[in-house]
Amino acid sequence: MERSRSSRLKSWPMWMLMGVVTVCLLAIGAGRDGGPLTQQERIDSITKRLACPTCDGESVFVSQASAAVNIKNEVARQVATGQRDDEEIVAFIEERFGGRVLLVPRATGFDSLVWVLPVTVLVCSVAGLAATFRRWRREQGLVPSDDDRALVARLLAEDPEDNDEVPR
Amino acid sequence: MNEESVLESASVHGHRSSLIATAVGIIVALFFVVLVVSSPEDRESATSPLLGNPAPVVKSTTLDDKQFELSRRRGSWVMFNFFNSTCVPCRQEHPELVAFHAAQATAEPPTELYSIINDDSDNAVRAFFEANDGDWTKVRDDDGSIAVAFGVAKVPETWIIDPNGYVRLRFIGAVTKGLLDEKLAELQAAFEGM
Repeated sequence: MERSRSSRLKSWPMWMLMGVVTVCLLAIGAGRDGGPLTQQERIDSITKRLACPTCDGESVFVSQASAAVNIKNEVARQVATGQRDDEEIVAFIEERFGGRVLLVPRATGFDSLVWVLPVTVLVCSVAGLAATFRRWRREQGLVPSDDDRALVARLLAEDPEDNDEVPR
Repeated sequence: MNEESVLESASVHGHRSSLIATAVGIIVALFFVVLVVSSPEDRESATSPLLGNPAPVVKSTTLDDKQFELSRRRGSWVMFNFFNSTCVPCRQEHPELVAFHAAQATAEPPTELYSIINDDSDNAVRAFFEANDGDWTKVRDDDGSIAVAFGVAKVPETWIIDPNGYVRLRFIGAVTKGLLDEKLAELQAAFEGM
């Protein structure tokens, strides 16, 4: 028991190090600048974030529906004029067609539930599993007392048809 | 562990399980309520952020190759009908629009009706109007900029713009003359009271 606790304590720094390295790599990956985008790359990246308002599950980038083509043209026009950045163009289209046109929901207001709920459920599930495993381990470690044995013996004596062995 | 403590432990476990089951049930019920109440399709069908705001800039050409600018229609009630000659609801509502347009000749104040051609060819639109009547101006929207400016994804859609250039009403789907007359009368009465 003492040895396992000590080995657990020894492995903590390694886990911590792995955690820090993972967070650093994620931060570097997320903040990495791919360099200046061409106009076409901007148009493609914006239209990939927008859902075709008349199709199911297709992006404006992929769809050939009339409404999607109109939106693509509008994005191209706004990129060409250079008066709005990508977020402002997406906001313009969202304002006209509503939130359903966003393929990736916003992280504010009611839409934020899409992001918050899965994380909350994951954390609660992991916590629940951890608590359950700990309880099981604790229960496994229990040694039946004389009272427990007496109780089982008495119950078995009351029900002679039950032939299960009494655990020792 | 004696008999009482075993029974007590079983009772605690049972109580906890029922609490968790109740909590899960409440969460599922809340999701269901949210889904029923939110109903985004209905909410967005009658509304638009443009309502009550200045109409977008509309500059284009008409089917007879004249310039069209919405801002030059200030002082008149304007109705935009987004249209496509192959769209079945557009074809079904067309007689209603013809009747509405005819009645505007004697209406006070009259409303100017414009068809905004959505994803359609000049020839197809000309052929449709020659066959089905409809002597009002048809405005081209070749690049879809007018449709996007108004947030129109499907046709038909009908929009009403007041003499000050503010968007007042949006109809998604086919309209009837009766509906247009009723809503316009309400809008015009409210406008005169302003």
